[in-house]
Amino acid sequence: MNGSFQQWLENFAASPGMVACGLRQPEGKLLCRGIEAGCSTEMMETILVQFEELRSTSSMADLAPRWTTWTFDQGRIRFIERPDGWLLGLVVRPGSAAAASFDLLSREFLSFQPVS
Amino acid sequence: MASKKKNRAPRKVLFVDDEQDFLQVAREAFTPLANGQWEIHCAESPNAAMELLKQQKMDLVVVDVNMPLLDGVQFLDLLGKRHPSLKKVTLTGFATEEKRSACLAAGAELFIEKPQSDNEFKSVFAMLDDLMNWAPQHGFQGLLKRVGLQDVIQLECLGRNSSVLEVYNEHVFGRIYIENGNIIHAAGGDLTGERALQQLLALPGGSFELVAFEPPPQNTICGAWESLLMEAARVRDELASLTSSDEPEIDPKTLTAPAAAPARVVEMLICSGQCQSLYEENCPDVPSRAVMLKNICDMGTRFARTLPLGTFDRVELQLSAGRAIALIRSDRMIFVRVSRETPGA
Repeated sequence: MNGSFQQWLENFAASPGMVACGLRQPEGKLLCRGIEAGCSTEMMETILVQFEELRSTSSMADLAPRWTTWTFDQGRIRFIERPDGWLLGLVVRPGSAAAASFDLLSREFLSFQPVS
Repeated sequence: MASKKKNRAPRKVLFVDDEQDFLQVAREAFTPLANGQWEIHCAESPNAAMELLKQQKMDLVVVDVNMPLLDGVQFLDLLGKRHPSLKKVTLTGFATEEKRSACLAAGAELFIEKPQSDNEFKSVFAMLDDLMNWAPQHGFQGLLKRVGLQDVIQLECLGRNSSVLEVYNEHVFGRIYIENGNIIHAAGGDLTGERALQQLLALPGGSFELVAFEPPPQNTICGAWESLLMEAARVRDELASLTSSDEPEIDPKTLTAPAAAPARVVEMLICSGQCQSLYEENCPDVPSRAVMLKNICDMGTRFARTLPLGTFDRVELQLSAGRAIALIRSDRMIFVRVSRETPGA
């Protein structure tokens, strides 16, 4: 199952404009990749861990967002969490092919049925 | 699952490597693993590979990164132009971060180190087989997931090529004409010119094909391709934010999705950087929302310290019925939630 998710993510990691991406498994294990030069795997892991902290401390829960998009002047981060506990984090450059496919990716991640 | 695999026609896999020894080893290692499900082809040069691709359609091309004359990255570029929907993987004996980025940017789905042991061959076989079984369900075929329609246009323009891109989905058929690296005409539905180009690039899904150039009935577009693509990207983002989160039905004449229900502000909070409420409207729990804004502000700043993304501006939350936005400014924080549900529904 992990392999399927990882494989699915690998397909998108090649999109031009993708800076980094990562998955957090329901049991907490992280599968991250820094793609752009200057963005390491460790940085992406830190981002997912930091987002976890926010989720556990903030009062965002009543809003139950399907996904959140964090916009910076040189990039965007999107976090999408599935009901089964998988969390996807994507970091892209604005105006890129990766940014344009953000919503499609998010919907696909939410509906993705990994082969067990 | 097994019987389904048995009934399936063998997948055609082409290995391209100037090292004859590796091709031999790969054939010997993958043949028993594939158990008749792969038809393995080998080419010792990009030229030989292109010849084979002219003769038959492959499901996957596995390219060695280090080849003389035309290296793996250049070959991937070429493959992307001539066979945009072909799945491509790179293998290398000397993986570096630079090579990996270059290969992925050039359209490779995967960047893998050359297998050495039996277990490594098994693992690579599983990855390649999975890749061929994987089919995108949304978006442009072979496109948004790998090389974007916009990227193909960019490659054609950068290469000063002349071609016609035929873009289609179940509702729409359109053409984008590129001559000597300039976008000169676009047509789709009742639209022509820049508007057609923008709407074709904003389609939520479909396929495209690069075909030989033929002169368009008229030239409707002028200007630098960079500006045209940037404007198209802006329009696409705008349309995406206006349409509902479900897959929209496209009007075949105007190439647009029907307008979503008007948004209605259901909650608003403006507070100072110290979480003091300055204005609120229908906010169910002001202190809690203010703390959330402060947490978002702190987290955005932390993200910006971790990754080189510049200054943090805002967070958008996609909700089941509507959206919310948290804007962070130096002296205040703003939260607005809008709903697309009709009141009382």
